[in-house]
Amino acid sequence: MSSNVIVEVRNLHKVYPSGTHALKGVSLNVYEGEFLVVIGLSGSGKTTLLKCINRLEEPTAGTVKFLGKDITHIKGKELREVRTHIGMVFQQFNLIKRMNVLSNVLAGKLGYMKTLPSIMGNFPPQCIQEAMKNLDIVGIKEYAYERADKLSGGQQQRVAIARSLMQSPKLLLADEPVASLDPATSNSIMQYFEKVNKELGVTVVCNLHFLSLVRRYATRVIALKSGEIVFEGLPHEIDEAWFKKIYGEEAEEVEIR
Amino acid sequence: MLDPELEIHPKEKILRKRKNQEKINLIKAILLDIFFVFYAILVLQRAIYYKVILDLRELPFSWAEVILILIISAAIGIIWGYSRTSLGTRIMGLGKETKSARLISEIFAWTLFNLTFIAGWLVTKISLIDLFSKEGIEGANRIFHALFTPEFGIFDDALFAIIETIYLALIATLLSIPPTLILSFLTARNLMKDHWYTFMIYYALRIILNFVRSIEPLIWAIIFSVWVGIGPYAGMIALLVHTIAANAKLYSEAIESIEEGPVDAIEATGANKLQVIWYAVVPQIVLPFLSFTIYRWDINVRMATVIGLVGGGGIGTMLMQYQGLAQWHEVGLIVIMIAFVVWIMDYISAKIRESIY
Repeated sequence: MSSNVIVEVRNLHKVYPSGTHALKGVSLNVYEGEFLVVIGLSGSGKTTLLKCINRLEEPTAGTVKFLGKDITHIKGKELREVRTHIGMVFQQFNLIKRMNVLSNVLAGKLGYMKTLPSIMGNFPPQCIQEAMKNLDIVGIKEYAYERADKLSGGQQQRVAIARSLMQSPKLLLADEPVASLDPATSNSIMQYFEKVNKELGVTVVCNLHFLSLVRRYATRVIALKSGEIVFEGLPHEIDEAWFKKIYGEEAEEVEIR
Repeated sequence: MLDPELEIHPKEKILRKRKNQEKINLIKAILLDIFFVFYAILVLQRAIYYKVILDLRELPFSWAEVILILIISAAIGIIWGYSRTSLGTRIMGLGKETKSARLISEIFAWTLFNLTFIAGWLVTKISLIDLFSKEGIEGANRIFHALFTPEFGIFDDALFAIIETIYLALIATLLSIPPTLILSFLTARNLMKDHWYTFMIYYALRIILNFVRSIEPLIWAIIFSVWVGIGPYAGMIALLVHTIAANAKLYSEAIESIEEGPVDAIEATGANKLQVIWYAVVPQIVLPFLSFTIYRWDINVRMATVIGLVGGGGIGTMLMQYQGLAQWHEVGLIVIMIAFVVWIMDYISAKIRESIY
């Protein structure tokens, strides 16, 4: 395993204004080039952890370092600059429904653009070429001029991946990217993440529900339970006992192919 | 080992905050109770005792009496509020969850409602005798007969006046769009809550807009007909002012109810605030905005008619003139034309709104 640390999280706490203590002293490293999967029940703090890394949420205590730089409390321009290097893909795809696919992908470049030209929609030709190339990578180039909400769920998620690739990210965060897709589509989406990880060399941190997907794609696994890390290791090390510990005694593994 | 930042545990901080909130709510509840009791005593005394039991024509009034009642109700309100069985504490969600506490507050609420209904009945001077008296029926007959035999001699004038009204409403609606847009973003909580200074702007603008909106267009028309002179211009500004205030609220509510997902997604790309608004917020609100604006044009045509009554120009001014002269056949024609135009506008605006979705 490569030893270059890309994200360093130390003793991270997050308390929401409602009083929910979502993260209770989480510490972890993300190494360059790995495919790290975070598992755990809904409400175990997975999403909060990801959002603290690209600072969509501000941690209550502890530190987050990205490429050696402390980003726990940075603001404004400095924060936006860091965010341009971190792509994010969501469970609900979060595309701009009324815009076409190409515009949605181009939105990934906003962090690199000046305000006025980006609002006028004046993207330079090389940006558009790059967008088409990224659409080609996820295999939906022919839909470039369709409205985003006309596409199926799986296709929308591929647009979201292409959008994050526009950032030329060093790190890609994926928050339960296949949780609202059917099994077959889930698998194909995960293959795109694998492609991004292996061929483009982008480090991936991905929240997942299904263990079969974890075993297939993860290079390393972390399990969260009510805001604390309860397991850290290789995918094949999660056996029946660990599974029950992470998901509770009642749980039974569901196969997904 | 905890970070020093966690020494004052955030959870405790939040608990403390909640306790403070509860104290403030209890004060609010007691103020409500004092008001309710005060209101109940006042209505009992003035509407029921003076009017019904003593049957007085002129009601006696003295400040000393009112202040005495206020002191009595303050005492009752405070004691009742602290016992947590009052209506105020129930409304603020602080009431005791026992059956008797619930019953007491419910009975009091019913009593308040019935008192209000009786007082309202007396104030409105409802009288079936007036409605069905011989002279009354004759008068109604005269007016209805005239309204249904309209005088077509003034058709040309009325046509021009009603066209003036439609244009007046259209211009007021169009001119309202740019200021409404700007104001709606500045009064959307989800966009303004992040910094204390934007939140101050948000708060100040909300108060001003609420104030402007609470003044009816009719009253704005009176103000502007003094300011810029009687005529369509005064009517237009009156509508404009009210449209901005009313639509800014609707628009900002549309902004507040957008999906947060796309906002997160665009923020995550490193986009700045303006880019986030343009890419993640604007596309979600274009349709509701268009729909509100078209509907508002429709409303404004109807309002422009009413505004005309106080000198805002158009068909309303004409209606007022003929009504003043008691020329009911002419009034009849104008009423028919207004009804026709309003119906057409209503139909068109509904069709346009359907088709853009």
